[in-house]
Amino acid sequence: MKIMVCIKQVPHADARLDVNGAGTWIQEENIKFEINPYDQNALEAALQLKDKDASSEVVVVSIGPERVTQSLRTALGMGADRAVHVKDAAADGSDSLGTAKILAAVAKAESPDLVFAGFMSDDGNLAATGPMLATLLGIPHTTTAVSFVKNGAVTVERELEGGALEVVELNTPCLVTTQTGMNQVRYASLKGIMAAKKKPIDVKTVADLGLAGQVGAGAAKFKIEKLYTPPKGQGAEILSGSVDEVVGKLVGKIKELGLL
Amino acid sequence: MGSILVIAEIQKGKVREASYELVSFARKIGGATNREVKSLVMGQGISAGAEELSKKGGGEVFAADDAALANYNLDAAFAAVQAAIAASSADVILLSNTPTGWDLAPRIAASLDAGLASDCFNVEVEGSDLVFFRRFFNGKFDSRLRPTALPLVATMQPGATAAFEGAADGKVTALSVSVGATGTKFVETKVAAAKGVDLTKADIIVSGGRSVGSPEKFQEVIKPLADALGGAMGASRPVVDAGWLPHEYQVGSSGQVVSPKLYVACGISGAIQHLVGMKASNFIIAINKDADAPIFEVANVGVVGDLFEVVPKLTEAIKTAKG
Ligand SMILES: Cc1cc2nc3c(=O)[nH]c(=O)nc-3n(C[C@H](O)[C@H](O)[C@H](O)COP(=O)(O)OP(=O)(O)OC[C@H]3O[C@@H](n4cnc5c(N)ncnc54)[C@H](O)[C@@H]3O)c2cc1C
Ligand SMILES: Nc1ncnc2c1ncn2[C@@H]1O[C@H](COP(=O)(O)O)[C@@H](O)[C@H]1O
Repeated sequence: MKIMVCIKQVPHADARLDVNGAGTWIQEENIKFEINPYDQNALEAALQLKDKDASSEVVVVSIGPERVTQSLRTALGMGADRAVHVKDAAADGSDSLGTAKILAAVAKAESPDLVFAGFMSDDGNLAATGPMLATLLGIPHTTTAVSFVKNGAVTVERELEGGALEVVELNTPCLVTTQTGMNQVRYASLKGIMAAKKKPIDVKTVADLGLAGQVGAGAAKFKIEKLYTPPKGQGAEILSGSVDEVVGKLVGKIKELGLL
Repeated sequence: MGSILVIAEIQKGKVREASYELVSFARKIGGATNREVKSLVMGQGISAGAEELSKKGGGEVFAADDAALANYNLDAAFAAVQAAIAASSADVILLSNTPTGWDLAPRIAASLDAGLASDCFNVEVEGSDLVFFRRFFNGKFDSRLRPTALPLVATMQPGATAAFEGAADGKVTALSVSVGATGTKFVETKVAAAKGVDLTKADIIVSGGRSVGSPEKFQEVIKPLADALGGAMGASRPVVDAGWLPHEYQVGSSGQVVSPKLYVACGISGAIQHLVGMKASNFIIAINKDADAPIFEVANVGVVGDLFEVVPKLTEAIKTAKG
């Protein structure tokens, strides 16, 4: 069985974020990046299938600049077999449809039996790419999986609102987007990291995939005109002073509420 | 000019509130751009819902009433949407940012080679253009999104505007949908079992976020404050995902919705999915080292600082005050 996992590299959850000079995205210099948390669960789900059937092949795919190599190495260190890196400035500024078109071109060449993507990216929060990719491939999909079982067909529990779950069965090939908490993500072992050095990362351009002119900023159906810090509304009264002073004021507030 | 198609959702036989919010957005942009508002209602036995929607702003309501739509099924729902798009000549398609929207909206967009603006909290008309507003980075930044092409698909955040209240007369048109073989099958819906801790009954909740760092730190830093105040402990989702606390401690859209007299958020950024679970609290204290954290927008009182410094001192001060 061949399993494709779509991985996006996103700013680390603890990175300090600022809007860039053009006011259209964040400034990306000197910040730490990591594999999108949702995609870590996607990769783990794929690796668990490989644990059960060693003949399975896990291919990780990422679109992004040079820095993405590090995340692909991490994924290979965790146990993925191969990586495809679409590294091309012509892909920059793609909207989710453009991203999905690129991933679809890779998937068509790979013909995976299963595709995993994260439910959403922690930077864009679009939650769009996975189902778009499935649509372009003409395969069924489901979103926000919190469990996954493959027994011939695929059975997934997807998260609804307020703690409810929906159990869905899918024919294969299919695409599943993963919600955080679906599984406990493994770490790359030292042995895994050593082995990863020998695993291939196949670098491709947009033209290689036959998509020249069809993706990237120029083809985006939505443009981010402006990214900005939300205007401050009424907001909180921010307490000032030393830690002791602030704590004193907090105790005062809680007293006023009649809760002490 | 095409029309605006509202993909409404039925819950327990009724059109859900979020769908009337979509009607509000649709009528706002429809009025300014000369687009008619039309709607789709799908399911089985939905005629009452369709009728109600047609009288409350949904315009011409296409009612896809079919056994294949009795439970949510991607292929069946998608077939109904395709039929409604054809019948309405819509070039703007609106859904709610709900589990149905997550599943369906990107499929509709990709099938039309259209763009998707997801989880928007507003849409404005500027000239003949629609400008969509949405958050990025879990609420840290807002954005203006401008479409470069039609048709377009957007999902709107539930609660982002008031439900449409005006009485506007529309009509119901039956829509027949042909659902062939489906690639997905609905099996069942499960409701999480009730557990030991019921946060919804607590008067005081002290919640910790991902930055608390470990289950031990929860017991060392967060729990003592909750205990000192005589309250309960809560958490954001990453805490539960990591297995530091069981699911019944999670506050938010996929956890508990709480409204205690006092909610103390320690090291929680304030992503919308957390906020919907606690913003109705009577009084909110937020402690976060990032002065720009979105949590401060819903808090009554904020401390910009390190929770590991502030929380233990606060715990001691509460104990002293209680004597
Ligand atoms: C469909 C869906 C459903 C979801 N449901 C929920 C839900 O029910 N509940 C929920 O909570 N989330 C939910 N989420 C996740 C949500 O989007 C956020 O990822 C999550 O709420 C972030 O948790 P956090 O604030 O603990 O972590 P982060 O966003 O990583 O924030 C950590 C915060 O800690 C601050 N900080 C760091 N160190 C310190 C320190 N020493 N002292 C003080 N402050 C510090 C940082 O400034 C930052 O603001 C859901 C997401 C999706 C897509
Ligand atoms: N640049 C990318 N490279 C690889 N996968 C991506 C990329 N962007 C998005 N994805 C996948 O699509 C998912 C949803 O992203 P989004 O639609 O941007 O929220 C991510 O979790 C990834 O699995």
